[in-house]
Amino acid sequence: MSKKREIQSDAELVGEIKHGSSRAMEEVVRRYSNKVYNLAYHLTRDSAAAEEIMQDVFLTVIAKVGTLTNEAYFSTWLYRVTTNAAYGFLRKEKKFSDQTPVDDIDQEVQTSYDWSDLPDDVLLSEESKEVLRKSIDTLPEAMRTVVIMKDMEGLKNEEIAEALSISVPAVKSRLHRGRLILRELLSGYFSRKYTDSSGEDE
Amino acid sequence: MNCKLCSALFQEFLEKSLCEEVITELETHMKTCKKCRVMLRTYTLTITLSQKVDPPCCVSTDKIDRLKKILLERFFTKQSAQEPSVR
Repeated sequence: MSKKREIQSDAELVGEIKHGSSRAMEEVVRRYSNKVYNLAYHLTRDSAAAEEIMQDVFLTVIAKVGTLTNEAYFSTWLYRVTTNAAYGFLRKEKKFSDQTPVDDIDQEVQTSYDWSDLPDDVLLSEESKEVLRKSIDTLPEAMRTVVIMKDMEGLKNEEIAEALSISVPAVKSRLHRGRLILRELLSGYFSRKYTDSSGEDE
Repeated sequence: MNCKLCSALFQEFLEKSLCEEVITELETHMKTCKKCRVMLRTYTLTITLSQKVDPPCCVSTDKIDRLKKILLERFFTKQSAQEPSVR
């Protein structure tokens, strides 16, 4: 069996970038450009800003990779740089708001409408997706960021904690509260749409 | 177990990080509590929908190529700026 080119770890690539390897830099771009772009896009909801952020993030990599002491944490460092850049954009655009203290959000939920057995074409309709998108956007920024990083970008709790400089329990708490709020908002939407309309279904 | 504690454990339950004893308690509560059953189902579905709401998009090859070009230029500029300091 011929041995294929082995996949290099991030730490190895970063080590090579520090020693001036442009090939390693290209590999990092190939590996992370979509992830950086998607995270930036989901945080800003602006494709032009996401592109600009992506470019700035990789320029930061070139400028500051030498300061990275633990190369194994490269990806979380990258996510942190991306998140900070996205926050910077949102602040500049005055879209950044974090006035609602996370702890003040009431976890108690009321709605018990069961929308879990609605058909997929309803759950995944463009309208439902738009409701969810808008609901995510209404979350306090601290929760919104964690929900996006975890549920939309699939990052691990530890990676999110590292990237946002918060503890893992804080990540879990924000995530859980954010999900509860989204669940409540979706319940309200599906309940209004499928229980009180014309009564045709009843 | 009451409903508030039950719902507070959903996340850990889905991440399978609860001990057997707590899982049993939670499941016992849910057997008799329709509200919590509904809530767990819709909580789980909320996560699934969040994962699907905006599927990951790919940056176009053109944009990646342009980015690489900019980065390489900057990369080599940095390299050459550092060279004089090499003894």
